[in-house]
Amino acid sequence: MEQNKQVKIVNPEKGTWNNIVLSEIDYKAANGKYRIRGCGSPRKVPNFDDLVILPGQCTRMTIDTYREDCETRVVLGKRFAKNPIVLETPIMIAGMSFGALSKNAKIALSKATAMTGTLISNGEGGCLPEELENSYRQSIQILASRMGFKKELLFQADMLEILYGIGAKPGLAGHLMGEKITDEISKIRQIPAGIDLHSHPRSGDAFGADDLVVKMKQLREITNWETPIFAKIAASRVREDIKIAVKVGFDGIILDGCTAGTGAAPVMAADHLGIPTMPALVQAVRTLEEMNVKDEVSLIVSGGIKDGADMAKAIAIGADAVAIGTAAMIAMGCRVCMNCQAGQCAFGIGTQNPEQVAKLDIDVAARRVANYIEAMTAEAVLLAKAAGKTKLSNLEREDLRSMTLESCAMTGIPLAGSDLVIGQGFGYTASNTL
Amino acid sequence: MEHINAAKIDSDKINQVIRECIKKGEKEIRISNIHAMHNVAAGLCGDASVTFEDSTGLYTASYLEGPTVTINGNVGWYAGDNMVSGELIIKQNTGCNVGAYIAGGNLVVYGNTGSRVGYGMKGGTIIIGGNAGRWAGQLSMGGTLIILGNCGPAIGESMFTGKIFTRDPQAEEKMGGNVIYDEITIEEAAELDSLFAAYGFEAKGAEFHVIRPILDPSGKHKYVLFKPELNKEGAAKYKASGRNGGCYGAE
Ligand code: SF4
Repeated sequence: MEQNKQVKIVNPEKGTWNNIVLSEIDYKAANGKYRIRGCGSPRKVPNFDDLVILPGQCTRMTIDTYREDCETRVVLGKRFAKNPIVLETPIMIAGMSFGALSKNAKIALSKATAMTGTLISNGEGGCLPEELENSYRQSIQILASRMGFKKELLFQADMLEILYGIGAKPGLAGHLMGEKITDEISKIRQIPAGIDLHSHPRSGDAFGADDLVVKMKQLREITNWETPIFAKIAASRVREDIKIAVKVGFDGIILDGCTAGTGAAPVMAADHLGIPTMPALVQAVRTLEEMNVKDEVSLIVSGGIKDGADMAKAIAIGADAVAIGTAAMIAMGCRVCMNCQAGQCAFGIGTQNPEQVAKLDIDVAARRVANYIEAMTAEAVLLAKAAGKTKLSNLEREDLRSMTLESCAMTGIPLAGSDLVIGQGFGYTASNTL
Repeated sequence: MEHINAAKIDSDKINQVIRECIKKGEKEIRISNIHAMHNVAAGLCGDASVTFEDSTGLYTASYLEGPTVTINGNVGWYAGDNMVSGELIIKQNTGCNVGAYIAGGNLVVYGNTGSRVGYGMKGGTIIIGGNAGRWAGQLSMGGTLIILGNCGPAIGESMFTGKIFTRDPQAEEKMGGNVIYDEITIEEAAELDSLFAAYGFEAKGAEFHVIRPILDPSGKHKYVLFKPELNKEGAAKYKASGRNGGCYGAE
């Protein structure tokens, strides 16, 4: 009998020891440190695609997609502030710093808000005068680092955001690798050029909730109760964090799920810290309802929002608006190469290299982001009208069904085609028959 | 001079009353019975001298821009936070995190202060007449911090830019990471002398050393981040059961 015949053996797919794990181990073995990566986590987590919207049929009259109106305007921050923000569409541009992004990218994003009547957040490291000049409405973040922050920004802001966490790296602060700390950025942030920056982890002017109550009074006094003040919180112990934010007296909350993007984060942080956007939102809404403040405290959700369906579902769950970051970058031309930390973006977005920055045409990029916001709004409107709504904000959780047992358990929204609710439920009368 | 008796004013209204006095052109305002209220003189602007006759609470004179605010008693945490310009003079002691994120002006404490004085400071000058707690000047991004008394541990921890002047003989051993202990220059000593003369401190600039961010020979910040130290000598003192050269239980 013929021995040792050459046969092509097919081994099972590598489970734990797949190529990604091998490359991560190789990196650590070669460098003795963990890896920093751009763009947040590529992990697959339960998300809004695990829900569907129920269209109106005999029980609901649908609204004509092509001829009838559906209101998209939204008012944010009306709890205590004298001047809440009114936006034409409930899509804001999330805080992304000048530093992580190029100046051209920041200006393009702010111009897009002027074209669409919405809001942009400055992100860490101060606010470019060009961003302020071009934005329709401007949110200013008050971060633990306070880099580039100036008192006058308190008066220039249409909204203030006290930042506690970033969804892509909750529990950590901003990272800006040395490649991106040019002389201009170093001057604005008052840090040495070329260092790998790991920003201040904790705020030096409020240690805990009791101090925050007094701090909030301070900010109200300085801003004459005019400017809405939001807390930006990464999705973690959502229930407890929201309770504290409400007690402190915020006008609204920006809740950032673990699928949020970033210019740079340790791989470990992006992949293993925090909870996904969708279940975090459900928990936030439940908490606000329990506290009887759902109608007064505005809720903006972010972290992986990509289209009108995500937005419509988030609003149906109880968000007042969504914030987009990575999606807006993609609209400008970003291809999510996950190498933002290196500061060599061929598209002139995640870079400070002047030659690369020059490649991003501000007006073209602004138009593309505005187009994207308009189209995303139209998508959400299409879904809302099909569900019989004349206002986007009229979408409600009863319009949703879960597509997976996992999303059903996480959200308390019944499984499609059944009344089955696993776990706590989410205001449905359907009983748990398990 | 305008005298305000805070005992007769709602705590939420006190700053408004002070602001109105400044608006009317009053240059000297004295406030009694403030009773450790929080946020007094927060965000105060203009050109006036405002004196609180007793102690104040948290966030005293935060975001101050212009006036000279004097506290004859003690102050709570976060006094002068985000201060922009003017003077904040504290005659006695303070809580922690005083002068956090200060961007300008002079903040002078005649007594002792708690931990993290000048946390993330970006400009201005802080003078502590007495002792300072731990992490003074932590993560500062500019400005000048002067401590006449003793410093706590981890002074200057991970400063980005700025200077801390100290005459604590043990300061070098107490330093945090990413900083160096350096000689004071003649110009710096002269600058300190004029500040000491202005605020009535009996000290000489030449007695001080400077803690500065660590720079490499090219003048670039030599920033080193925390990394867990795997110190096998440290672990060696704990008894391990292996390698005993024989069998367990064998005599
Ligand atoms: S394409 Fe540019 S902006 Fe997008 S992830 Fe890559 S480097 Fe960053």
